Amino acid sequence: MTSIIGYYTTPFGELWNKSLFDLVEDVIFGVLKNAKLEQEKIDAVFFGNMMAGALENNLHSPSKIAEIMGSHIPVFRAEAACASGGAAFYLALKYLEAGAGKTVMVIGAEKMTDYSPEETVSALVSASSGEEQESGLTFPGLYALMAQIYLTKYNYSKKELAYVSYKNHFHGSLNENAHFRKKIRLEDILSSPFVAYPLGVLDCSPISDGASAIILTSDKKQRTKQKYVVQVLASSVATDTISLKKRKYLDGIEATKLAADRAFHISKIKREEISVAEVHDCFSIAELFAMEDLGFWKKGDAGKRIGSLETMLGSGAPLIVNTSGGLKAAGHPVGATGVKQIGEIYLQLTGQAAKRQVRKARKGLTHNIGGSGGTAIVSIFGV
Amino acid sequence: MIISPIKIWRRQKEIRTLLYKKGTIVSWTMIYTPPDGFAAYAPYPVVLVEFDRNQKAYGQLVDYDPRDMHIGKTVISVLRKVRCVSRDDVIAYGIKFKPI
Repeated sequence: MTSIIGYYTTPFGELWNKSLFDLVEDVIFGVLKNAKLEQEKIDAVFFGNMMAGALENNLHSPSKIAEIMGSHIPVFRAEAACASGGAAFYLALKYLEAGAGKTVMVIGAEKMTDYSPEETVSALVSASSGEEQESGLTFPGLYALMAQIYLTKYNYSKKELAYVSYKNHFHGSLNENAHFRKKIRLEDILSSPFVAYPLGVLDCSPISDGASAIILTSDKKQRTKQKYVVQVLASSVATDTISLKKRKYLDGIEATKLAADRAFHISKIKREEISVAEVHDCFSIAELFAMEDLGFWKKGDAGKRIGSLETMLGSGAPLIVNTSGGLKAAGHPVGATGVKQIGEIYLQLTGQAAKRQVRKARKGLTHNIGGSGGTAIVSIFGV
Repeated sequence: MIISPIKIWRRQKEIRTLLYKKGTIVSWTMIYTPPDGFAAYAPYPVVLVEFDRNQKAYGQLVDYDPRDMHIGKTVISVLRKVRCVSRDDVIAYGIKFKPI
Protein backbone atom coordinates (compact mmCIF):
# COMPACT_ATOMS: atom_id res chain seq x y z
CA MET A 1 0.00 0.00 0.00
CA THR A 2 1.44 3.34 -1.07
CA SER A 3 0.18 6.59 0.44
CA ILE A 4 0.53 10.30 -0.16
CA ILE A 5 1.48 12.06 3.07
CA GLY A 6 2.20 15.60 1.96
CA TYR A 7 1.68 18.21 -0.75
CA TYR A 8 2.97 21.67 -1.48
CA THR A 9 2.66 23.91 -4.52
CA THR A 10 3.88 27.34 -5.52
CA PRO A 11 1.30 29.66 -7.00
CA PHE A 12 1.06 29.17 -10.78
CA GLY A 13 1.48 32.20 -13.02
CA GLU A 14 4.05 34.63 -14.37
CA LEU A 15 6.65 34.26 -11.63
CA TRP A 16 9.32 36.57 -12.97
CA ASN A 17 11.35 36.70 -9.76
CA LYS A 18 11.82 32.91 -9.66
CA SER A 19 13.98 30.63 -11.83
CA LEU A 20 13.08 27.00 -12.52
CA PHE A 21 15.28 25.78 -9.69
CA ASP A 22 14.11 28.54 -7.30
CA LEU A 23 10.63 27.04 -7.78
CA VAL A 24 11.98 23.51 -7.29
CA GLU A 25 13.73 24.60 -4.08
CA ASP A 26 10.53 26.21 -2.77
CA VAL A 27 8.53 23.01 -3.20
CA ILE A 28 11.21 20.68 -1.82
CA PHE A 29 11.33 22.52 1.50
CA GLY A 30 7.63 23.38 1.40
CA VAL A 31 6.49 19.78 1.10
CA LEU A 32 8.93 18.55 3.77
CA LYS A 33 7.55 21.19 6.12
CA ASN A 34 3.91 20.33 5.33
CA ALA A 35 4.57 16.63 5.97
CA LYS A 36 6.72 17.44 9.06
CA LEU A 37 9.35 15.15 7.61
CA GLU A 38 13.15 15.36 7.97
CA GLN A 39 14.94 15.40 4.65
CA GLU A 40 16.91 12.28 5.65
CA LYS A 41 13.71 10.24 5.35
CA ILE A 42 13.57 10.84 1.57
CA ASP A 43 15.12 7.88 -0.28
CA ALA A 44 14.80 9.20 -3.84
CA VAL A 45 13.36 12.06 -5.89
CA PHE A 46 11.41 11.86 -9.18
CA PHE A 47 11.31 15.07 -11.17
CA GLY A 48 8.80 15.80 -13.94
CA ASN A 49 9.93 18.49 -16.36
CA MET A 50 9.56 18.88 -20.10
CA MET A 51 11.33 21.92 -21.47
CA ALA A 52 14.38 22.96 -19.44
CA GLY A 53 16.56 21.33 -22.10
CA ALA A 54 14.80 22.85 -25.08
CA LEU A 55 14.21 26.35 -23.67
CA GLU A 56 17.11 27.17 -21.38
CA ASN A 57 19.83 24.66 -22.22
CA ASN A 58 19.39 23.26 -18.75
CA LEU A 59 19.75 19.49 -18.38
CA HIS A 60 21.06 17.07 -15.74
CA SER A 61 18.42 18.30 -13.34
CA PRO A 62 18.98 15.33 -10.96
CA SER A 63 22.36 16.76 -10.03
CA LYS A 64 20.91 20.27 -9.56
CA ILE A 65 18.30 18.85 -7.21
CA ALA A 66 21.03 17.00 -5.29
CA GLU A 67 22.84 20.32 -4.93
CA ILE A 68 19.71 22.04 -3.59
CA MET A 69 19.10 19.22 -1.11
CA GLY A 70 22.77 18.78 -0.23
CA SER A 71 22.36 15.02 -0.52
CA HIS A 72 23.54 12.05 -2.57
CA ILE A 73 20.25 10.17 -2.98
CA PRO A 74 19.07 8.92 -6.41
CA VAL A 75 17.21 11.57 -8.42
CA PHE A 76 15.54 10.89 -11.78
CA ARG A 77 13.90 13.12 -14.34
CA ALA A 78 10.83 11.93 -16.24
CA GLU A 79 9.73 13.47 -19.53
CA ALA A 80 6.47 12.78 -21.35
CA ALA A 81 5.57 16.28 -22.60
CA CYS A 82 2.61 17.63 -20.57
CA ALA A 83 2.36 14.26 -18.79
CA SER A 84 5.88 14.58 -17.33
CA GLY A 85 4.50 15.15 -13.82
CA GLY A 86 2.21 12.14 -14.04
CA ALA A 87 5.07 10.05 -15.42
CA ALA A 88 7.34 11.05 -12.51
CA PHE A 89 4.57 10.01 -10.10
CA TYR A 90 4.04 6.66 -11.85
CA LEU A 91 7.77 5.85 -11.79
CA ALA A 92 8.01 6.84 -8.10
CA LEU A 93 5.11 4.52 -7.31
CA LYS A 94 6.75 1.60 -9.13
CA TYR A 95 10.07 2.38 -7.37
CA LEU A 96 8.34 1.97 -4.02
CA GLU A 97 6.47 -1.15 -5.13
CA ALA A 98 9.79 -2.65 -6.23
CA GLY A 99 11.12 -2.03 -2.73
CA ALA A 100 13.96 0.26 -3.83
CA GLY A 101 13.01 2.76 -1.13
CA LYS A 102 10.30 3.54 1.42
CA THR A 103 9.63 7.25 1.08
CA VAL A 104 10.14 9.36 -2.05
CA MET A 105 9.42 12.86 -3.26
CA VAL A 106 7.76 13.62 -6.59
CA ILE A 107 8.36 17.10 -8.00
CA GLY A 108 6.93 18.67 -11.13
CA ALA A 109 8.11 22.06 -12.36
CA GLU A 110 8.24 24.22 -15.46
CA LYS A 111 9.51 27.70 -16.29
CA MET A 112 7.80 29.01 -19.43
CA THR A 113 7.25 32.77 -19.26
CA ASP A 114 10.85 33.94 -19.82
CA TYR A 115 10.40 33.46 -23.57
CA SER A 116 8.43 34.90 -26.49
CA PRO A 117 5.25 33.02 -27.46
CA GLU A 118 7.00 31.77 -30.65
CA GLU A 119 9.91 30.35 -28.64
CA THR A 120 7.65 28.63 -26.11
CA VAL A 121 5.28 27.36 -28.81
CA SER A 122 8.29 25.96 -30.73
CA ALA A 123 9.60 24.16 -27.65
CA LEU A 124 6.12 22.73 -27.00
CA VAL A 125 5.72 21.47 -30.58
CA SER A 126 8.88 19.42 -30.11
CA ALA A 127 6.39 16.98 -28.52
CA SER A 128 4.60 16.49 -31.87
CA SER A 129 5.67 14.56 -34.99
CA GLY A 130 8.12 15.98 -37.55
CA GLU A 131 5.38 16.15 -40.15
CA GLU A 132 3.09 18.06 -37.81
CA GLN A 133 5.89 20.53 -37.15
CA GLU A 134 6.61 20.88 -40.86
CA SER A 135 3.02 21.80 -41.64
CA GLY A 136 3.08 24.62 -39.07
CA LEU A 137 0.74 22.85 -36.65
CA THR A 138 0.81 23.74 -32.96
CA PHE A 139 -0.84 22.02 -29.99
CA PRO A 140 -3.88 24.30 -30.17
CA GLY A 141 -3.86 23.40 -33.88
CA LEU A 142 -3.80 19.64 -33.25
CA TYR A 143 -6.63 19.86 -30.71
CA ALA A 144 -8.50 22.16 -33.12
CA LEU A 145 -8.32 19.42 -35.78
CA MET A 146 -9.81 16.94 -33.29
CA ALA A 147 -12.41 19.49 -32.13
CA GLN A 148 -13.62 20.06 -35.71
CA ILE A 149 -14.15 16.33 -36.18
CA TYR A 150 -15.96 15.93 -32.84
CA LEU A 151 -18.18 18.99 -33.22
CA THR A 152 -19.15 18.00 -36.79
CA LYS A 153 -19.77 14.35 -35.98
CA TYR A 154 -22.03 15.03 -32.98
CA ASN A 155 -23.54 18.24 -34.29
CA TYR A 156 -22.24 20.62 -31.62
CA SER A 157 -20.79 24.13 -31.86
CA LYS A 158 -18.13 26.22 -30.13
CA LYS A 159 -20.73 27.11 -27.51
CA GLU A 160 -20.58 23.67 -25.90
CA LEU A 161 -16.80 24.05 -25.54
CA ALA A 162 -17.19 27.39 -23.75
CA TYR A 163 -18.84 25.79 -20.70
CA VAL A 164 -15.55 24.05 -19.84
CA SER A 165 -13.67 27.34 -19.50
CA TYR A 166 -16.63 28.98 -17.73
CA LYS A 167 -16.74 26.24 -15.08
CA ASN A 168 -12.98 25.96 -14.62
CA HIS A 169 -12.54 29.72 -14.23
CA PHE A 170 -15.22 29.68 -11.54
CA HIS A 171 -13.22 26.97 -9.74
CA GLY A 172 -9.99 28.94 -10.31
CA SER A 173 -11.57 31.93 -8.58
CA LEU A 174 -11.67 29.79 -5.41
CA ASN A 175 -8.05 28.61 -5.61
CA GLU A 176 -5.50 31.05 -4.18
CA ASN A 177 -2.69 29.36 -6.16
CA ALA A 178 -4.42 29.54 -9.55
CA HIS A 179 -2.92 31.53 -12.42
CA PHE A 180 -6.35 33.07 -13.14
CA ARG A 181 -8.58 33.77 -10.15
CA LYS A 182 -11.26 35.47 -12.16
CA LYS A 183 -14.66 34.30 -13.30
CA ILE A 184 -15.36 34.80 -17.00
CA ARG A 185 -18.61 35.14 -18.93
CA LEU A 186 -19.71 32.76 -21.68
CA GLU A 187 -19.91 35.61 -24.18
CA ASP A 188 -16.28 36.60 -23.46
CA ILE A 189 -15.16 33.03 -24.14
CA LEU A 190 -17.11 32.86 -27.39
CA SER A 191 -15.76 36.18 -28.65
CA SER A 192 -12.12 35.66 -27.58
CA PRO A 193 -9.58 35.92 -30.43
CA PHE A 194 -8.69 32.67 -32.18
CA VAL A 195 -5.47 30.82 -31.43
CA ALA A 196 -6.31 27.95 -33.79
CA TYR A 197 -9.85 27.95 -35.21
CA PRO A 198 -12.27 27.01 -33.63
CA LEU A 199 -10.30 27.41 -30.37
CA GLY A 200 -10.03 30.92 -28.97
CA VAL A 201 -7.65 32.25 -26.32
CA LEU A 202 -10.23 31.45 -23.62
CA ASP A 203 -10.45 27.83 -24.82
CA CYS A 204 -6.73 27.39 -24.15
CA SER A 205 -4.72 26.80 -20.98
CA PRO A 206 -2.12 29.53 -20.43
CA ILE A 207 1.67 29.49 -20.47
CA SER A 208 2.63 29.43 -16.78
CA ASP A 209 5.50 29.02 -14.36
CA GLY A 210 5.08 26.83 -11.30
CA ALA A 211 6.15 23.83 -9.27
CA SER A 212 4.36 21.24 -7.12
CA ALA A 213 5.56 18.36 -4.97
CA ILE A 214 4.11 15.41 -3.09
CA ILE A 215 5.57 12.81 -0.75
CA LEU A 216 4.81 9.16 -1.30
CA THR A 217 5.49 6.45 1.24
CA SER A 218 5.13 2.69 1.60
CA ASP A 219 6.33 2.90 5.22
CA LYS A 220 3.55 1.96 7.65
CA LYS A 221 5.18 3.90 10.49
CA GLN A 222 5.26 7.09 8.45
CA ARG A 223 1.67 6.59 7.42
CA THR A 224 0.32 6.16 10.93
CA LYS A 225 2.24 9.23 12.17
CA GLN A 226 0.57 11.51 9.62
CA LYS A 227 -2.69 13.38 10.02
CA TYR A 228 -3.53 13.67 6.32
CA VAL A 229 -3.09 10.45 4.35
CA VAL A 230 -4.45 9.38 0.96
CA GLN A 231 -4.02 5.89 -0.51
CA VAL A 232 -2.96 5.32 -4.10
CA LEU A 233 -5.43 2.70 -5.36
CA ALA A 234 -4.15 2.43 -8.95
CA SER A 235 -2.10 4.21 -11.57
CA SER A 236 -1.93 3.24 -15.21
CA VAL A 237 -0.08 4.53 -18.27
CA ALA A 238 -1.01 4.04 -21.93
CA THR A 239 0.71 5.38 -25.03
CA ASP A 240 -0.27 5.92 -28.66
CA THR A 241 1.28 7.19 -31.91
CA ILE A 242 2.88 10.63 -31.71
CA SER A 243 1.23 11.44 -35.06
CA LEU A 244 -2.41 12.37 -34.69
CA LYS A 245 -3.09 11.15 -38.24
CA LYS A 246 -2.08 7.57 -37.41
CA ARG A 247 -4.60 7.14 -34.57
CA LYS A 248 -7.52 4.76 -34.82
CA TYR A 249 -10.05 7.57 -34.29
CA LEU A 250 -9.82 11.34 -33.90
CA ASP A 251 -12.99 12.24 -31.98
CA GLY A 252 -11.42 11.20 -28.68
CA ILE A 253 -8.18 9.96 -27.12
CA GLU A 254 -7.80 6.19 -27.08
CA ALA A 255 -4.82 6.20 -24.69
CA THR A 256 -7.09 7.74 -22.01
CA LYS A 257 -9.61 4.96 -22.46
CA LEU A 258 -6.94 2.24 -22.22
CA ALA A 259 -5.30 3.77 -19.13
CA ALA A 260 -8.66 4.40 -17.43
CA ASP A 261 -10.08 0.93 -18.04
CA ARG A 262 -6.94 -0.58 -16.57
CA ALA A 263 -6.83 1.77 -13.57
CA PHE A 264 -10.49 1.05 -12.72
CA HIS A 265 -9.83 -2.68 -13.11
CA ILE A 266 -6.80 -2.63 -10.78
CA SER A 267 -8.48 -0.46 -8.15
CA LYS A 268 -11.77 -2.40 -8.25
CA ILE A 269 -13.49 0.98 -8.01
CA LYS A 270 -16.59 1.81 -10.03
CA ARG A 271 -16.91 5.05 -12.01
CA GLU A 272 -19.88 6.09 -9.83
CA GLU A 273 -17.69 6.03 -6.72
CA ILE A 274 -15.44 8.86 -7.95
CA SER A 275 -16.64 12.13 -6.49
CA VAL A 276 -13.81 14.43 -7.54
CA ALA A 277 -11.55 14.34 -10.61
CA GLU A 278 -8.78 16.47 -12.07
CA VAL A 279 -8.77 15.95 -15.85
CA HIS A 280 -6.40 17.28 -18.51
CA ASP A 281 -8.24 20.30 -19.96
CA CYS A 282 -5.29 21.76 -21.89
CA PHE A 283 -7.97 22.95 -24.33
CA SER A 284 -11.73 23.08 -23.76
CA ILE A 285 -12.35 20.19 -26.18
CA ALA A 286 -9.92 18.03 -24.14
CA GLU A 287 -12.21 18.02 -21.08
CA LEU A 288 -15.10 16.76 -23.22
CA PHE A 289 -12.85 13.98 -24.55
CA ALA A 290 -11.66 13.18 -21.01
CA MET A 291 -15.19 12.83 -19.62
CA GLU A 292 -16.12 10.40 -22.41
CA ASP A 293 -12.84 8.46 -22.64
CA LEU A 294 -12.61 8.03 -18.86
CA GLY A 295 -16.05 6.42 -19.07
CA PHE A 296 -17.96 9.00 -17.01
CA TRP A 297 -20.11 10.09 -19.95
CA LYS A 298 -21.26 8.22 -23.06
CA LYS A 299 -19.42 8.87 -26.34
CA GLY A 300 -20.94 11.89 -28.04
CA ASP A 301 -22.81 13.03 -24.91
CA ALA A 302 -20.20 15.39 -23.44
CA GLY A 303 -21.32 18.35 -25.56
CA LYS A 304 -24.80 18.01 -24.09
CA ARG A 305 -23.84 17.26 -20.50
CA ILE A 306 -21.21 19.96 -20.05
CA GLY A 307 -23.92 22.55 -20.78
CA SER A 308 -25.83 21.52 -17.64
CA LEU A 309 -22.71 22.41 -15.57
CA GLU A 310 -23.30 19.29 -13.49
CA THR A 311 -19.55 18.93 -12.82
CA MET A 312 -19.31 22.45 -11.33
CA LEU A 313 -19.04 23.01 -7.56
CA GLY A 314 -22.44 23.58 -6.04
CA SER A 315 -24.33 21.58 -8.68
CA GLY A 316 -25.12 18.85 -6.15
CA ALA A 317 -24.18 16.19 -8.71
CA PRO A 318 -22.07 13.23 -7.56
CA LEU A 319 -18.91 14.09 -9.59
CA ILE A 320 -17.16 17.48 -9.58
CA VAL A 321 -14.36 18.04 -12.11
CA ASN A 322 -11.27 20.26 -12.00
CA THR A 323 -11.82 21.99 -8.67
CA SER A 324 -8.29 23.43 -8.90
CA GLY A 325 -9.45 25.40 -11.93
CA GLY A 326 -7.98 22.76 -14.22
CA LEU A 327 -5.17 23.60 -16.59
CA LYS A 328 -7.36 26.37 -17.99
CA ALA A 329 -7.59 28.54 -14.87
CA ALA A 330 -5.07 27.07 -12.41
CA GLY A 331 -2.44 27.37 -15.15
CA HIS A 332 -0.35 24.83 -17.02
CA PRO A 333 3.36 24.78 -16.16
CA VAL A 334 3.58 21.55 -18.12
CA GLY A 335 5.89 19.46 -15.87
CA ALA A 336 4.06 20.60 -12.72
CA THR A 337 0.50 19.90 -13.91
CA GLY A 338 0.43 16.13 -13.30
CA VAL A 339 1.72 16.60 -9.74
CA LYS A 340 -0.64 19.49 -9.00
CA GLN A 341 -3.59 17.36 -10.13
CA ILE A 342 -2.64 14.66 -7.61
CA GLY A 343 -2.08 17.34 -4.96
CA GLU A 344 -5.56 18.76 -5.56
CA ILE A 345 -7.13 15.32 -5.10
CA TYR A 346 -5.04 14.90 -1.92
CA LEU A 347 -6.43 18.19 -0.56
CA GLN A 348 -9.99 17.19 -1.51
CA LEU A 349 -9.84 13.72 0.03
CA THR A 350 -8.28 15.02 3.26
CA GLY A 351 -10.79 17.86 3.61
CA GLN A 352 -8.21 20.61 3.11
CA ALA A 353 -9.60 22.15 -0.08
CA ALA A 354 -11.14 25.13 1.77
CA LYS A 355 -13.58 27.13 -0.38
CA ARG A 356 -13.58 24.57 -3.16
CA GLN A 357 -14.06 21.51 -0.93
CA VAL A 358 -16.30 18.81 -2.37
CA ARG A 359 -18.33 17.42 0.53
CA LYS A 360 -17.78 13.80 1.55
CA ALA A 361 -15.20 13.17 -1.17
CA ARG A 362 -13.82 9.67 -0.58
CA LYS A 363 -12.50 8.63 -3.99
CA GLY A 364 -10.72 10.76 -6.58
CA LEU A 365 -9.13 10.44 -10.00
CA THR A 366 -6.41 12.24 -11.97
CA HIS A 367 -5.95 12.23 -15.74
CA ASN A 368 -2.77 13.62 -17.27
CA ILE A 369 -2.11 13.73 -21.04
CA GLY A 370 1.12 14.18 -22.96
CA GLY A 371 1.05 15.85 -26.38
CA SER A 372 -2.06 15.34 -28.47
CA GLY A 373 -2.76 12.06 -26.65
CA GLY A 374 0.46 10.10 -27.17
CA THR A 375 0.69 9.48 -23.42
CA ALA A 376 -2.15 9.16 -20.91
CA ILE A 377 -1.78 8.55 -17.18
CA VAL A 378 -4.82 7.80 -15.05
CA SER A 379 -4.58 7.37 -11.28
CA ILE A 380 -7.19 6.60 -8.64
CA PHE A 381 -6.99 7.59 -4.98
CA GLY A 382 -9.03 6.91 -1.88
CA VAL A 383 -9.38 7.47 1.86
CA MET B 1 15.57 25.23 -34.59
CA ILE B 2 18.13 23.86 -37.03
CA ILE B 3 17.08 23.10 -40.61
CA SER B 4 20.16 21.23 -41.75
CA PRO B 5 20.69 20.08 -45.36
CA ILE B 6 21.01 16.49 -44.18
CA LYS B 7 17.62 16.60 -42.45
CA ILE B 8 16.02 18.05 -45.57
CA TRP B 9 17.68 15.39 -47.74
CA ARG B 10 16.30 12.59 -45.54
CA ARG B 11 12.82 14.10 -45.56
CA GLN B 12 12.76 14.61 -49.36
CA LYS B 13 12.78 10.85 -49.90
CA GLU B 14 9.39 10.62 -48.19
CA ILE B 15 7.92 13.80 -49.61
CA ARG B 16 8.46 12.42 -53.14
CA THR B 17 5.94 9.65 -52.42
CA LEU B 18 3.27 12.12 -51.28
CA LEU B 19 3.31 14.48 -54.26
CA TYR B 20 0.38 15.18 -56.61
CA LYS B 21 -2.01 12.91 -54.78
CA LYS B 22 -5.70 13.66 -54.54
CA GLY B 23 -7.49 13.37 -51.23
CA THR B 24 -10.29 14.83 -49.14
CA ILE B 25 -10.13 17.17 -46.16
CA VAL B 26 -10.88 15.21 -42.96
CA SER B 27 -10.37 18.23 -40.69
CA TRP B 28 -8.99 21.75 -40.86
CA THR B 29 -7.92 24.62 -38.65
CA MET B 30 -6.57 28.15 -39.03
CA ILE B 31 -3.38 28.85 -37.08
CA TYR B 32 -3.17 32.35 -35.61
CA THR B 33 -0.30 31.77 -33.11
CA PRO B 34 2.48 30.09 -35.09
CA PRO B 35 5.76 28.49 -34.02
CA ASP B 36 9.17 29.94 -35.00
CA GLY B 37 9.71 30.10 -38.74
CA PHE B 38 6.01 30.38 -39.62
CA ALA B 39 5.17 33.90 -38.47
CA ALA B 40 5.40 35.28 -42.02
CA TYR B 41 2.51 33.06 -43.13
CA ALA B 42 0.14 33.52 -40.15
CA PRO B 43 -2.77 33.22 -40.03
CA TYR B 44 -2.67 30.13 -42.25
CA PRO B 45 -5.00 27.15 -42.68
CA VAL B 46 -3.74 23.61 -42.04
CA VAL B 47 -5.70 20.63 -43.33
CA LEU B 48 -5.66 16.95 -42.45
CA VAL B 49 -6.18 15.05 -45.69
CA GLU B 50 -7.08 11.43 -46.32
CA PHE B 51 -5.79 9.75 -49.50
CA ASP B 52 -6.86 6.22 -50.42
CA ARG B 53 -6.53 3.29 -48.08
CA ASN B 54 -6.67 5.36 -44.91
CA GLN B 55 -3.31 7.08 -45.58
CA LYS B 56 -3.34 10.63 -44.19
CA ALA B 57 -1.13 13.73 -44.41
CA TYR B 58 -1.12 17.26 -43.03
CA GLY B 59 -0.21 20.44 -44.82
CA GLN B 60 -1.13 24.07 -45.26
CA LEU B 61 -3.89 24.92 -47.70
CA VAL B 62 -2.74 27.28 -50.48
CA ASP B 63 -4.39 29.10 -53.41
CA TYR B 64 -7.69 28.75 -51.60
CA ASP B 65 -10.97 30.53 -51.27
CA PRO B 66 -12.41 30.64 -47.70
CA ARG B 67 -15.30 28.50 -49.01
CA ASP B 68 -12.83 25.69 -49.72
CA MET B 69 -12.17 25.16 -46.02
CA HIS B 70 -14.63 22.44 -45.17
CA ILE B 71 -14.59 18.77 -44.37
CA GLY B 72 -15.05 16.70 -47.53
CA LYS B 73 -13.40 19.16 -49.96
CA THR B 74 -11.14 17.52 -52.58
CA VAL B 75 -7.53 18.74 -52.63
CA ILE B 76 -4.25 17.80 -54.32
CA SER B 77 -0.77 17.76 -52.73
CA VAL B 78 1.82 20.12 -54.19
CA LEU B 79 5.46 20.92 -53.44
CA ARG B 80 5.96 24.28 -51.71
CA LYS B 81 8.42 26.10 -49.50
CA VAL B 82 7.34 25.22 -45.95
CA ARG B 83 9.38 27.45 -43.69
CA CYS B 84 12.23 29.85 -43.54
CA VAL B 85 14.09 30.31 -40.27
CA SER B 86 16.61 32.87 -41.55
CA ARG B 87 17.75 34.25 -44.89
CA ASP B 88 20.93 32.19 -44.82
CA ASP B 89 19.21 28.87 -44.13
CA VAL B 90 18.60 26.14 -46.64
CA ILE B 91 15.01 26.45 -47.87
CA ALA B 92 12.85 23.57 -46.67
CA TYR B 93 10.32 22.30 -49.19
CA GLY B 94 7.39 20.12 -48.25
CA ILE B 95 3.79 19.24 -48.92
CA LYS B 96 0.97 21.75 -49.12
CA PHE B 97 -2.52 21.28 -50.54
CA LYS B 98 -4.46 23.04 -53.29
CA PRO B 99 -8.23 22.81 -53.62
CA ILE B 100 -9.47 21.28 -56.88
